[in-house]
Amino acid sequence: MRKTTHLLILAASLLFGSFAQAQCDTIASVCEKHITEAYIPDGQFYRALLREDEVAEFGLTLYGGTTYRVAACSGLNDGNLVFSVYDKDRNLLYTNKEFNNDPYWDLVIANTIDVTMEAQLDPSKAGSGCAVLLMGFKK
Amino acid sequence: MAPTHLRSALAAAILLALQACGGGQQPAEGQPSDTDSLDTAAANTHGGVVKVGGQIVAVPSPVQTALLIKKLGLPYEKALPLEASILEKLATSDQHALALGAFGADLAYVTVHRDGQRALNILQTIQTLSGKLDLSNAFDQGLLDSFKRSLNNEDSLLRFSGTAYRAADQYLKNNDRNVVSSLVLAGGWIESMYLTVSGAGTKPDAALMSRLGEQRRTLSALVAMFEQGQGGKGQETLLAGLKDLLVEFDGVTTTYQFQPPTVDAAKKTTYINSTSTVAMAPEKFAAIATKVKALRTTITA
Repeated sequence: MRKTTHLLILAASLLFGSFAQAQCDTIASVCEKHITEAYIPDGQFYRALLREDEVAEFGLTLYGGTTYRVAACSGLNDGNLVFSVYDKDRNLLYTNKEFNNDPYWDLVIANTIDVTMEAQLDPSKAGSGCAVLLMGFKK
Repeated sequence: MAPTHLRSALAAAILLALQACGGGQQPAEGQPSDTDSLDTAAANTHGGVVKVGGQIVAVPSPVQTALLIKKLGLPYEKALPLEASILEKLATSDQHALALGAFGADLAYVTVHRDGQRALNILQTIQTLSGKLDLSNAFDQGLLDSFKRSLNNEDSLLRFSGTAYRAADQYLKNNDRNVVSSLVLAGGWIESMYLTVSGAGTKPDAALMSRLGEQRRTLSALVAMFEQGQGGKGQETLLAGLKDLLVEFDGVTTTYQFQPPTVDAAKKTTYINSTSTVAMAPEKFAAIATKVKALRTTITA
């Protein structure tokens, strides 16, 4: 009986895992449309499974003289994900919260800068979900 | 008893499945819900902060450094990129992952220097490596065919490779193969730095020295990543090399001054106006270059 229980829970976990993967893949395919042909994808895929007020964050260096496009998506419609960019002193450089949670934005970098990007679900639109961030840059 | 246990197990299974389908956390009543619900138990949480994809840092694209090398007019050195023959020396999946990242940086280097035939050869090597890592879907025959058709279009080639590497990263992260993902990133960064320092000559350009000096944060993050085991087990040599390199960055001086950004909402663009500088003596560049070259040998060892 215990074996049966374990097998069922394992099956459910696998089922859950494949749902999560499918959800993130679907969102990614929606999101990558925002990284248009004018931009070269940075070759990385940033995702997090978020719940309520959890915040996903990652740090990166943005090179001076470069225009970056950041696309942030969750769910099948635009505007579910809030993303913000801070410098190393926590000065806010950009947040899409001021622009109706716009799913993409360009950052023109004058001088190389270390930033932290944060993403969280808009609590008025989603309780939990897969958050996907994609980046590209102009040549 | 047995049917009761079975019912409990079934209930647990159905509950989990429903949660994945959208039966988990919901917005408050009256609020819209157009995002699928998803449990976050598998996410890497740290004090309420969930690190995206379990990563600490994003590594700048090797394409950007290749473009800088080209822009500065440094000579194209065909001997710098890895040779396909090194594959024979690579036995483990960790080595394959590092090499996959490194060949990605090489692909960018030869592409921006418009060496189409070499780019095609490297892509074929990448294809072989991706097969060994079960990533053939990202680097399939379709990509190779598209690449062949666009050999004279540098922008298309860079887009193809960026998209393919992103697809590979997506597949790896969605399948909880974060160690391979981390090693691909590390391999790409190391090779990119190798290409940067190797073509610099005895009097490196100031912009090149700045680019090298700007790597401290990425390098620190890579060290942290390996220290936390995200790069897998048995990476002591690589970690030691990264830490040794990081020590050299103590002699690199950086400044940063925040300036308010300006926004052009109509163009969906924010201009980040903050200023920064990197100061590095040529001797320091040489010392870092020596350590980068030593580190690069760990990819092929």
